[in-house]
Amino acid sequence: MVVETEIIPFFEWLQLAVPFFLTVAVAVAVFALAASYLICAVRYGPLAGGDVVYRVVTTSIKEILQISPRRVFALAWLAIQESVRRRVLVVFAVFLAILLFAGWFLDNSSHDAGKLYLSFVLTATTYLVLLLALFLSVFSIPNDVKSRTIYTIVTKPVRPGEIVLGRVIGFSLVGTVVLLVMGISSYIFVFRSVNHTHEVVLLDDPELVEELPEGERFRTTTEQEHRHVIFEDADGNLATDFRNSHWHPISAEDSPEGTTYSVSPPEGTFTARVPIYGKLSFLDRAGRPASKGVNTGSEWMYRSFIEGGSAAAAIWRFPGITRERFPPEEFPDGIPFEMTLRVFRTYKGDVERGIPGSYVIRNPDKPDIQSSEQIFVAREFYTDRKFIPFELEDEKGNKLDLFEDLVSDGKLELAVKCLDPAQYFGMAQADVYLKADDAPFAMNFVKGYLSIWTQMVLVTGFGVMFSTFLNGAVAMIATLAAIIMGFFTKFVTDVATETVSGGGPIEALIRLLTQKNLVSPLEDTLGNRVAQLLDEGVMFVMVRMGYILPNFRQFDSSDYVANGYNIPWDLALQNLVATFGYLAAVFVAGFFFMKTREVAK
Amino acid sequence: MSATTEAAQAAAPSTPAAPEAIVQTRSLSKTYRDFWGRQKVRALKPLDLEVHRGEIFGLLGPNGSGKTTTIKLLLGLLFPTTGKALVFGKDSSDVSKNERIGYLPEESYLYRFLNAEETLDFYGRLFDMPAEVRKRRTQELIDMVGLNWAKRRQLKEYSKGMTRRIGLAQALINDPELIVLDEPTTGLDPIGTREMKDLIIKLRDEGKTVLMCSHLLADVQDVCDRIAILYQGELKELGRVDSLLKVDEVTEVRARGLSEEAKSEIREVIQRHQGELLSLDNPSTTLEELFLRIVRESEERPGARPQ
Ligand SMILES: Nc1ncnc2c1ncn2[C@@H]1O[C@H](COP(=O)(O)OP(=O)(O)O)[C@@H](O)[C@H]1O
Ligand SMILES: [Mg+2]
Repeated sequence: MVVETEIIPFFEWLQLAVPFFLTVAVAVAVFALAASYLICAVRYGPLAGGDVVYRVVTTSIKEILQISPRRVFALAWLAIQESVRRRVLVVFAVFLAILLFAGWFLDNSSHDAGKLYLSFVLTATTYLVLLLALFLSVFSIPNDVKSRTIYTIVTKPVRPGEIVLGRVIGFSLVGTVVLLVMGISSYIFVFRSVNHTHEVVLLDDPELVEELPEGERFRTTTEQEHRHVIFEDADGNLATDFRNSHWHPISAEDSPEGTTYSVSPPEGTFTARVPIYGKLSFLDRAGRPASKGVNTGSEWMYRSFIEGGSAAAAIWRFPGITRERFPPEEFPDGIPFEMTLRVFRTYKGDVERGIPGSYVIRNPDKPDIQSSEQIFVAREFYTDRKFIPFELEDEKGNKLDLFEDLVSDGKLELAVKCLDPAQYFGMAQADVYLKADDAPFAMNFVKGYLSIWTQMVLVTGFGVMFSTFLNGAVAMIATLAAIIMGFFTKFVTDVATETVSGGGPIEALIRLLTQKNLVSPLEDTLGNRVAQLLDEGVMFVMVRMGYILPNFRQFDSSDYVANGYNIPWDLALQNLVATFGYLAAVFVAGFFFMKTREVAK
Repeated sequence: MSATTEAAQAAAPSTPAAPEAIVQTRSLSKTYRDFWGRQKVRALKPLDLEVHRGEIFGLLGPNGSGKTTTIKLLLGLLFPTTGKALVFGKDSSDVSKNERIGYLPEESYLYRFLNAEETLDFYGRLFDMPAEVRKRRTQELIDMVGLNWAKRRQLKEYSKGMTRRIGLAQALINDPELIVLDEPTTGLDPIGTREMKDLIIKLRDEGKTVLMCSHLLADVQDVCDRIAILYQGELKELGRVDSLLKVDEVTEVRARGLSEEAKSEIREVIQRHQGELLSLDNPSTTLEELFLRIVRESEERPGARPQ
């Protein structure tokens, strides 16, 4: 659902990331040196040019080591003063207006109100904070140059790096405070918006009571366009059913006048599920292993489909299944798993009705040992919550013990089939997962804001860096371009490595104009060859840009929070470390631009 | 380029009698170019200057003659087109020289949203000064420039003269050895101008070196020990103010107590030294006359003047 790429453990990532970072850094440094030398050689001659480059590099290393915290913080303080003067506080007013607007227009009776509100505030906060970071960072140095206040700064013993660092720190602090205030108000807003209780309705009419399934005693009043039925569990505790993504605990108090029931606030609206993902593989319609299911053409690349009424199956292999991880005391019903399948209909039937499917639990090493088929009904956009019990039966009714018979080497397989011929189930690896745990939601919320924070800091860094050599408006465009290209780095790399067909931008344009499809090769004309050659040049540059620019999609984890998944610390740490890596790079670039800039020109 | 530096270092000790040069320019020139690298203005033609420790050196010239350009080159705000500028023997691109420099720009380019105290404290922090020192220094300087009554007001509420004063205070925050003043008296009232001149002389008497530029002749004549006259980016005249203004061919005699008869025989009387001789000297012209003459001559015959 959210997780489209696998998240590798932090330290494994670090072992890959650090050499990658260093390689790219060295490559960029060599390129920059060569380019600087060329420029200087043209300007001052080959020998003197080399001397200039040499001196700039050596003094730069010296100056980076001479950075003084007091000066940096003086400049950061100045940046904060400047922000206040430029009325950043207006963003709070804007944000308040957005919340008011949201309070009006968002529907708290929707079946997943928590997700609706969360994704709204997270998106609003992200855009607002990033916009703020962009505007603050990009105009600051150019304004100083224009008003010439920079003259009184650079004629002090201020190292060029301190000007860059001070700005980045100052504006990041402003952004942090803004984000903090927005985060706290969003949290309160979201909780208050979905909060509600019900009254308990006692059903006096014995006939109505008859209608309720066994174990269900009575129901609640309707609030926010829904009502719950009330259960009593084995221990005699009362609770409502799970509806609109939440349930309510109910307490009963006996008194001489009778029993009074009180319904507590909703629970389960805001969760941070910790999933265990499996590896997905397929059987084709004849039951042979296949790397992919059918591509129905409706969804792009990511999801595969299996045909109903055939031997086609989707098989997830889950790792890490041990008794220690799932003790029966904590998991009385077995191992919970959640399943969100896509339904692809070859004919439009009753959309509400759902498509029947089945799943079996099986031993990865001995697939013959498997549980009996369990039937379920898949509905579009509906998450099925089920359990794998510890005690199962096979088709013949023999008892199977989950850990003894089905788990092998800590691994377990779950195979899904679609039972309705002429219908398809669509699935991706992350669509079925075991739910190991629920992490605290508040912490997840904080991690979500941390991901916005990293983006804010990155935008600030890039904005300040570009503003060291471009004027305000141009620096803004450059930063925006970097962000947008950052969004598409993966796509760009895919185009260049021909994972995506259709060729580079110029070839794609030719195909567009000549209305050719994406896969058939272009005719071998001179024009087309030139186009492809140019594309290779463009792609060469773009791929390298892809290495340098931050992948903003990667940094944004707010979807996890909205969809109720725990943000893995591995991911949060990776993004944090990557952010500081980018900041270091941006700092060095900004330093050189600032140092080689003729301020009074 | 490093070769020339070495040569200079080797040459320096061989002339021990020469006063210590705080500022040196070696065929320093600047040509402003536009974005495409096309030549726009030759603001400064190759200039060789030295400013010695403990003197007040004036750059004099009409508007647009390259004074500010020279100062910006010295401070590293601009990069020279040719030649180099040395301050305290360091290249102008070396930030560490700024520790000992105070600079008052043409207009006080200060942050208008700060008040006087915040401004001085901020610049103090840029010199890495500890808090107590900054506090003391800030108060001293605010008192010195007479802005104690307005120290909590934002600079955007300041008049031109007040801004100038706080600009000066800002330039002195680090107790600099070299003070560079670009048109220090513009925007000041006559009393302010007088105070500024007194201050410049006082700073010199404290052993500091002052490099100032101005188009106001009276300022320069009153305070400067040596001057350089620039015209259209070219050095026209360089020397001590008193010797520049001396008119060699003329002798001026002033006398008192001579009788009417004696007056008629004045030449004779003077030859015999019978009157009370009050002065016998070469008269000075005014700087204004010298200046106007240079401008006139330059317009008639462009190019460097025979020195
Ligand atoms: N940034 C600039 N770009 C182009 N020309 C400039 C720039 N600054 C100054 N000039 C030109 O250089 C010449 C010298 O200017 P300046 O040094 O400011 O003179 P002064 O300070 O003596 O009045 C003038 O002709 C001026 O127009
Ligand atoms: Mg000027």
